[in-house]
Amino acid sequence: MNARRIVALLLKETRELVRDPVTLALAVVMPLVMLFLFGYAINMDVDELALGLYDQDNTPASRALVARFAGSPYFDIIEYRHNTRDLDRSLQQSRIRAGIVIPPGFGRALLRDQPAPVQVIVDGGYPMVAGLGMAYIDAVIAYFPAPRPELVEMQTRVWYNPSLNSINFVIPGLFAVILMAFPPLLTTLAIVREKETGTVEQIYASPLRSAEYVLGKLLPYALVAFLEILMVILVGFVWFEIPIAGSLPLLFVASLVYVFTTVGIGLLVSSLARTQLAAMLITLIVTLMPSFLFSGFLFPIFTMPYSLQLYSRLFPAGYFMEVSRGILLKGLGVEAVLPNLLLLIGYTLVVFVFAVWRMKQKVA
Amino acid sequence: MSIAMIGLLRKEVIQFFRDRVILVLILWLYTVEAVFCTLALSFDVEDVPLAIVDQDRSTISRELVQKFALSESFDLQYQESAVSVAETHLAHGKVTAILVIPPGFERSIRSSEQTTLQLLLDGTDSNIAANSLYNARGVLARLVREQLPFAANTGAIAVTRVWYNPQLTTSSFMVLSMIALAGMMVGVIHPAASIVREKERGTLEQLLVAPISTFQLFLAKIAPTMIIGLLAVFPSLLIVRAFDVPMRGSLALFLILTGFFLLSAVALGVLIAAYSRTLQQALLLSFFGLFPVMFLSGTLTPVEAMPDVLQALSRLSPLRYYMDIIIGVFLKGVGWRDLWDESLCLIAIAIPMLILSLGIFRRRLQ
Repeated sequence: MNARRIVALLLKETRELVRDPVTLALAVVMPLVMLFLFGYAINMDVDELALGLYDQDNTPASRALVARFAGSPYFDIIEYRHNTRDLDRSLQQSRIRAGIVIPPGFGRALLRDQPAPVQVIVDGGYPMVAGLGMAYIDAVIAYFPAPRPELVEMQTRVWYNPSLNSINFVIPGLFAVILMAFPPLLTTLAIVREKETGTVEQIYASPLRSAEYVLGKLLPYALVAFLEILMVILVGFVWFEIPIAGSLPLLFVASLVYVFTTVGIGLLVSSLARTQLAAMLITLIVTLMPSFLFSGFLFPIFTMPYSLQLYSRLFPAGYFMEVSRGILLKGLGVEAVLPNLLLLIGYTLVVFVFAVWRMKQKVA
Repeated sequence: MSIAMIGLLRKEVIQFFRDRVILVLILWLYTVEAVFCTLALSFDVEDVPLAIVDQDRSTISRELVQKFALSESFDLQYQESAVSVAETHLAHGKVTAILVIPPGFERSIRSSEQTTLQLLLDGTDSNIAANSLYNARGVLARLVREQLPFAANTGAIAVTRVWYNPQLTTSSFMVLSMIALAGMMVGVIHPAASIVREKERGTLEQLLVAPISTFQLFLAKIAPTMIIGLLAVFPSLLIVRAFDVPMRGSLALFLILTGFFLLSAVALGVLIAAYSRTLQQALLLSFFGLFPVMFLSGTLTPVEAMPDVLQALSRLSPLRYYMDIIIGVFLKGVGWRDLWDESLCLIAIAIPMLILSLGIFRRRLQ
């Protein structure tokens, strides 16, 4: 290792990065855009569900039920229909997500203390909306005309996130996703670009060793990545007001480890791809998609089939996500996050060793 | 069509199919990734790890434990006698929910007295917590119905029917949205990369001195992506079939509208290519551009759940219209007349972007 050679490469790399305003701007702006977009868009609470209503009964009771739906913030009655065919048609054209038909005799049944069925038709094409919509509609109907006491009540106590606010869960998870989205791509492109334009031959011809090359190439991007995560964490606290149950320095240490994991993966991809387009598609497949879909960010891992649970364990975002959520929401200390942290460190080392070995092969 | 144009088209197609790595990666997105995601990702909260503390130890409480053990929503991991032990499981993340059945549970049920069960939830993932509560109430309601069949059930009752997807499984939605996502990604990234690569290498100048118009050059650059996008749909159709997703509408209509959708994706890619100077910029920009398009489309989270501003913005995402189209054609079996609006919106998104990028190219070249 020769420090002078590393510094020279480092300077060249930094200069190249600074001279490309588009890339630099994207490196700063993109994480913030992602944070705001996800912070607001990833929300599982549906409101203003488009409803169609057909009141066949037309009694004071049925009109009162219609008024309940109209008055609820969860629904937006966009159509009052007068035959079932029109209602079916609206459902088919996706103008409404659910249709409610109050059959004749509804008011009479209620007066006589008999069960009074209400017909609900839900569009199953969008299962998530359908599931939530069904639950909300159920609740409105079950509370009509008055809440009925349950014989056996279910009392709940919620730990860690008593307000059940999904933002508190999404933002700490986003730290892991955002960092996996951009730094690996940036690193990969920086290296593969040299391969594609041929300047890498000059590097091969120079006295630079492969470990020195890797360090000089990676450090600027690791720095960018670390600045990104600091920024994202700061905005998470200041703007989205995420609670901090655990220790912030511990989170920074874990983030630093994770930064190296992400740029390490970028390095690994660059040692496999020959063109920038291929590098980008591989990065998409090994970093962005799994960190989003297979990390427990939105979809819990325990509901997956076992083989795919193993697949999801191949990618590091899930480990860091457990650490960041553990520290911020549950207030976990060093001993509790250490297993995941050690896994990340081991993972990073393996990735680096493999990538450097691949590069050596190329040079030889 | 001039001979030069045909020659150019041939060059583009050869160049495209020569790059095996890219072809494999594109197919991966359309097939393997779609299968993985469909198998793994589901919005139904199933197999929630659960611990039960049965303090009653009676016939009915054991019956309830049995019901939870058999339920698909829960995975009964521990049965403890002390609440504190179960709580350590929750603290260590071994379970997400704890059910506590109080002493005297059976006696209360037999004498129709009111009683309370306790459910302790790990609220870290609010979605899992809310769903677990909903599902636990369902299991409990089944027990109460069985034990007390004569308890009067009066008042309004919802009788729900689910159309198009009666079991309300997520797999048909997932597989369709993954195919749409793959089309979007390939449609944007590929044309952007192939145009900017020529810019960067300087071979674009050679094409410009050839006797073809900028418009024809455009067509030749767009054609291979459109072709592969449409061809890649066919293996996906097999996958869709394997997941038992019905095809209720017409295949021809689906292919035509997929063409419209690809055109809008390609238009975004071309626009990115017009703006960027280096391949790196183009790739980063398309990466960046894909995010809002994907996130505002309702594929991963429902559009209804977004704030109004984002709901309005989601109207700019071609993916949103394509999702309506794809679900309409496959699940609902709707025809031309019902998808008119969506198709027009796709065209309305594509045309301005194409004209804008054509303008940028013409200006640069003069």
